[in-house]
Amino acid sequence: MKRTKLWSLIFFMILFGSAIALLKPVKSSGTTAKIYRDGVCVYSVELSGVKAPYTLRFKGENGYNTVLVENGRICVCEADCPDKICVHQGWISESGAPVVCLPNKLVIKIEKGAAQDIDGVSQ
Amino acid sequence: MQSSNYFSEVRHKRYAEVSVKKFLIIWLLIITLLSGCSTQASYSGVHEEPVSETVFAMDTVMQLTAYGAEAVVMDEAKKRILELEGLLSTTNTDSEVYGINQKKSGRVSPDTASLIQAGIKYGDITNGLLDVTVYPLVREWGFTTNNYRVPDKDSISRLLKNIDYKKIRFNKAEASVSLPDGMMMDFGSLAKGYAGDAVLKIFSDAGIKSAMVNLGGNVQTLGKKPDGSCWRVGIKNPEGENYIGTVLIDGRTVITSGGYERYFKDDNGKVYWHIFDPVTGYPAKAGLISVSVVTDTGIYGEALSTSLFIMGIKEASEFWRKHRDFEAVFISEKGSVYVTEGLRDNFSFSEDYSGHTLTVIEQ
Repeated sequence: MKRTKLWSLIFFMILFGSAIALLKPVKSSGTTAKIYRDGVCVYSVELSGVKAPYTLRFKGENGYNTVLVENGRICVCEADCPDKICVHQGWISESGAPVVCLPNKLVIKIEKGAAQDIDGVSQ
Repeated sequence: MQSSNYFSEVRHKRYAEVSVKKFLIIWLLIITLLSGCSTQASYSGVHEEPVSETVFAMDTVMQLTAYGAEAVVMDEAKKRILELEGLLSTTNTDSEVYGINQKKSGRVSPDTASLIQAGIKYGDITNGLLDVTVYPLVREWGFTTNNYRVPDKDSISRLLKNIDYKKIRFNKAEASVSLPDGMMMDFGSLAKGYAGDAVLKIFSDAGIKSAMVNLGGNVQTLGKKPDGSCWRVGIKNPEGENYIGTVLIDGRTVITSGGYERYFKDDNGKVYWHIFDPVTGYPAKAGLISVSVVTDTGIYGEALSTSLFIMGIKEASEFWRKHRDFEAVFISEKGSVYVTEGLRDNFSFSEDYSGHTLTVIEQ
């Protein structure tokens, strides 16, 4: 291999490698994802505190949604609703547009700045 | 010197080939390290995976979460809740309790028998402040139909004559119960706690070590969280959206009675809430707006949260000193916050309340 080709190869590998490293989810502290079923918040998780990914299965009126929780982000990875719009929406990691599955009345929202990770509220 | 050039070229080429391979291997290693394990599909063991279910029952929404549970265990839990609702509902005409209230006597199934016995036991412990025969009074005030009204004094006096849990005749051997005319039983003040205990038993029998259920605001837990830490439970702010503080629990329950939960106002703006003093027949107004009790079982927590609310801070403190088998957080109508000694180092105020004074009730 010629020297210049080798150096080009090295250059692109570094570029590619950096891209992968940068695309890793940003650890933003105080990012709480909330999952609502039929308007009621049924699950809440502090995304920056997630150590290893896990899934949650929610049974809705018209089927199920499997939610995948990773460090810093959340998505619906599987669903048996007809359109699978919720699955196609992909990951969310910032507060903004929520992930919604209308047939199953499931909504995932990200709320910024939750002071503490609360497991439940007694009322 | 063509031959030496040739050799040096060949050497150079092979050297380049070898180093590219090495470099690629090192590069792959670095990339893998940089990306961390999360890009690989290696989730932590199945035993950590939480399973959630939402159940609409007992006039409220219940969220059940268990770690390492099979879906079938969750189904069993849901079935059990609906079974209890079917037995205990005061308004459902098919329920066992409805039937007893109509006929004033009859045999009861084991769960209903347990509730009756609990009603009598906690009535004794709380000197009648927890009274499972208070339903006709609550109904008169309109809380069962949402047609709220303030009854006149004569109606209240008349109703109070039939409010006395001590008049329930329960025969344990025959599993039968009888009530005097005009009396009705209602387990709304205990049923959610009983259901929560039943659900956690199903979970623990199935080998689950970590679970949390929130039954309409009653938070009951099994063990600690999967990472070994305690569950953080917020105490609802009676005034607003958030919570005023948190308690840490492992395997215990936090049950709250709050005047702010269900109430109506008359034309003058006076507030009447759903927690009644069975002695006076009026909503309990002993100075507290919220009581959260930390107990080992849901049913005890339910019994205490209602009765401590009715007692007020002084009497509740004395009750705690006498029994010492629970802890509590009290919020007065004026906004003062008290905790019993056992929560001194456990309770902490939320950010919005960080400057608030905490009064500790000591032995």
